[in-house]
Amino acid sequence: MRPRNEGARHAVPARLPSREGLLRAVLLALFTVTPSLTQTYDLLLQGGHVLDPANKIDRIVDVAVREGKIAKVAADIPVAQAKKTIKVGGYYVSPGLVDIHTHVFGYQGWTWPDNTQLTQGTTTVVGCGGSGWRTFDEFKETVIDRSKTRIYAFINIVGKGMVGGRAENDVTDMDAARTAEKMEQYPDLIVGIKTAHFGRKGHLPLERAVEAGERTDKPVIVDMQVLTHQARDTRTKLLEILRPGDIHTHMHSDRQLELVNRRTRKVQPWMWEAQRRGVLFDVGHGAGAFIFPVAADSMKDGFPPDILSSDLHRRSILRTKPAMPNVISKFMHLGMSFEEAIEKSTIRPAWPLVNSPKSARSARDGQLTLRSSRSAAASLG
Amino acid sequence: MPHLRFHKRLLPSLALASVLCSAWLPLVGQTTNAPPSDDTVIYDLLLKNGHVIDLKNNRNGRLDIAIIGEKIHKVGKGLPSSRAKKTVDVSEYYVTPGLIDLHTHLDQYGAWLNLNPDHTTLRYGVTTAVDAGSTGHLGFEKFKEETIDKAGVRLLAFLNIVGAGMYGKDVENDVDQMDVAAAVAMVRKHPDSLVGLKTAHYQPTDWEAIDRAVEAAEKSNSVLMVDFHPKPGRGYRELILEHMKPGNIHTHFYGRLTPQLDENKKVQDYMWKARERGILFDVGHGSGSFWFRIAVPAIKQGFLPDTISTDIHKNSIMLPRAHLNNVMSKFLNIGLTFEQIIERTTVNPAKAIRRTDLGTLDEGSPADIAVLKIDRGKFAFLDSGHGKLTGDKRIRCAMTIRKGEIVWDEEGISMPEWSTAGPYSNFR
Repeated sequence: MRPRNEGARHAVPARLPSREGLLRAVLLALFTVTPSLTQTYDLLLQGGHVLDPANKIDRIVDVAVREGKIAKVAADIPVAQAKKTIKVGGYYVSPGLVDIHTHVFGYQGWTWPDNTQLTQGTTTVVGCGGSGWRTFDEFKETVIDRSKTRIYAFINIVGKGMVGGRAENDVTDMDAARTAEKMEQYPDLIVGIKTAHFGRKGHLPLERAVEAGERTDKPVIVDMQVLTHQARDTRTKLLEILRPGDIHTHMHSDRQLELVNRRTRKVQPWMWEAQRRGVLFDVGHGAGAFIFPVAADSMKDGFPPDILSSDLHRRSILRTKPAMPNVISKFMHLGMSFEEAIEKSTIRPAWPLVNSPKSARSARDGQLTLRSSRSAAASLG
Repeated sequence: MPHLRFHKRLLPSLALASVLCSAWLPLVGQTTNAPPSDDTVIYDLLLKNGHVIDLKNNRNGRLDIAIIGEKIHKVGKGLPSSRAKKTVDVSEYYVTPGLIDLHTHLDQYGAWLNLNPDHTTLRYGVTTAVDAGSTGHLGFEKFKEETIDKAGVRLLAFLNIVGAGMYGKDVENDVDQMDVAAAVAMVRKHPDSLVGLKTAHYQPTDWEAIDRAVEAAEKSNSVLMVDFHPKPGRGYRELILEHMKPGNIHTHFYGRLTPQLDENKKVQDYMWKARERGILFDVGHGSGSFWFRIAVPAIKQGFLPDTISTDIHKNSIMLPRAHLNNVMSKFLNIGLTFEQIIERTTVNPAKAIRRTDLGTLDEGSPADIAVLKIDRGKFAFLDSGHGKLTGDKRIRCAMTIRKGEIVWDEEGISMPEWSTAGPYSNFR
């Protein structure tokens, strides 16, 4: 079966230099004892430029794979030790990308991740609110268990999931306790709570989502518009309700955050304050959430996204084509380095998935930094 | 400043009005009672200067295409941009009728192997896809209601002779599932969606599935598509020379189950004979049905496919990457001309399913258009036999228009640079 990121939640934030050393010792022992057993690796990627921000690798180096796992990252691994060698000179080799905003279940526009993501270098996706507690089992059975892509879920605070306006506005179907219960049933698959598309007044869905997040110590990801008739504003949402480690997606959508002041073209004060609080900002590109003027102005003002993600669904895949390489390319054109873009598509999105809001609170106090955290999903370690 | 905006919007129309008044005044008297002539009509979209390949109408050269609403209004030389609300310069591209993919699996809420329809078709210039027997008479209406009627792509279907459809060998090998009368009734009930019958995956060594499907196609006066596994006593030669009827389609004919070459790699006589009697040969690429080792020798001897299609589903879309542009590119690198490939993805499949209204740029027909480009470089294409063909050409879809609407624009050729696109508003 495909490897699951079992140990990731308990990942030690510090680097693990001993693991590779240990492996090297084991291999050495293996060779000395059984010299005939030469083909140690199933696959060798030779001569690529490895970019692995989690382990601070940024150089030409070989990667050896055995039994579905990264066995060794080192220079000049002998070809004779591998059953199959692929020369990847001239290419970058990075950890499989992590896309935390995808739609792989639940509403008319979902796409099948093996086709739309795996073919684009994304090996881990998070289904962003497609299923709620009523439909998660079906999601697991019909998509998660049957796809090659590693799939996690942000469970929708709406019990029925993302199935259209009427259901998503039904406050009677937003049950924090039932949601938390389902999350506790699948702690390795459900990485947080999504709230989205609420068209009525107030912050109730967000408050319920945070409540479920508090019960389970998992982050909330928010898609919430701030139209005036909805009696809610960005400041309250960002500075009073969201917790450090929670994620606001669609950050460049002018309906959601008003990230940039249109007149001065500067990033709004509440955005900086929220960033200081440890709220994370996610691209969630989609069909309508990315506009170049906002992205360009905020990049220029020094407010890059924390996480790059696609919000790929049936319509966005046709209109704006926001598969991860496309999103990465856009930010590179706006000034982000390739290295930073890869970090924000691998280790950074993995971070809220494996670190709880409580640890995010300590992160704010300087006990944990984003760079030093690691997860098996997003590193070649 | 609403005042200013009002003026800005009004200005061009005022200018236009005054120009029309002064310049056309002398003509007004002569044309008072005539219907609005073509010279004054406003196009919604004008595709300017593309290399148009529209084989049904013998068009192959630089032409403009004017679209009004959902329809092609006019195809001709020098259509004026001044009369178009929007003009797209396609001078670097080929412009063809929207492509037809004759073999797909798009019952997205049905069996696992099916894909969602729109993004597996429209991205590749396909505006008409034919589902090849994913459902039978028991499941078709659910498929129609949930997917066909809601899809952006024009979705047609072959009805599986197996009532339950493609749900594994238990039903697909069960002759009790093959109810000719029920299948005929279903095809007759939905003539707009169902183009005919499909038989596939039948493993027993008798002819029951084939013969019942042939019978149902005859009785419903529709087209049959056959996926065939030869067995001892059930040979391919007899299939295409005796059991199938003229106009029937054999799909997957580059699969290794199809003995189209003899031991010296010579195309078998019965292939030519079957073609002569009107049997059609469809690619139906799929995950296992395209081998360069079969296709290249056959094509070198002049035996070309009648139709080029994908058999796109959850397996084939992955490793062989059997989307239509990729499959077309293989044939381009093997040596077919671009025109031959467009013929096999527009007029030929349209003729095969008796829908000659499709696959053309007829004036007055639905504006379903593909804007294609041939990239030059080094590209590799995978086949089902774990081999690859390294070539120097790749067909890519830059833009797709469906019912007059631009639904795919890979390079943004219909859009301005963002910095010149004016003030933004994300508020509704």
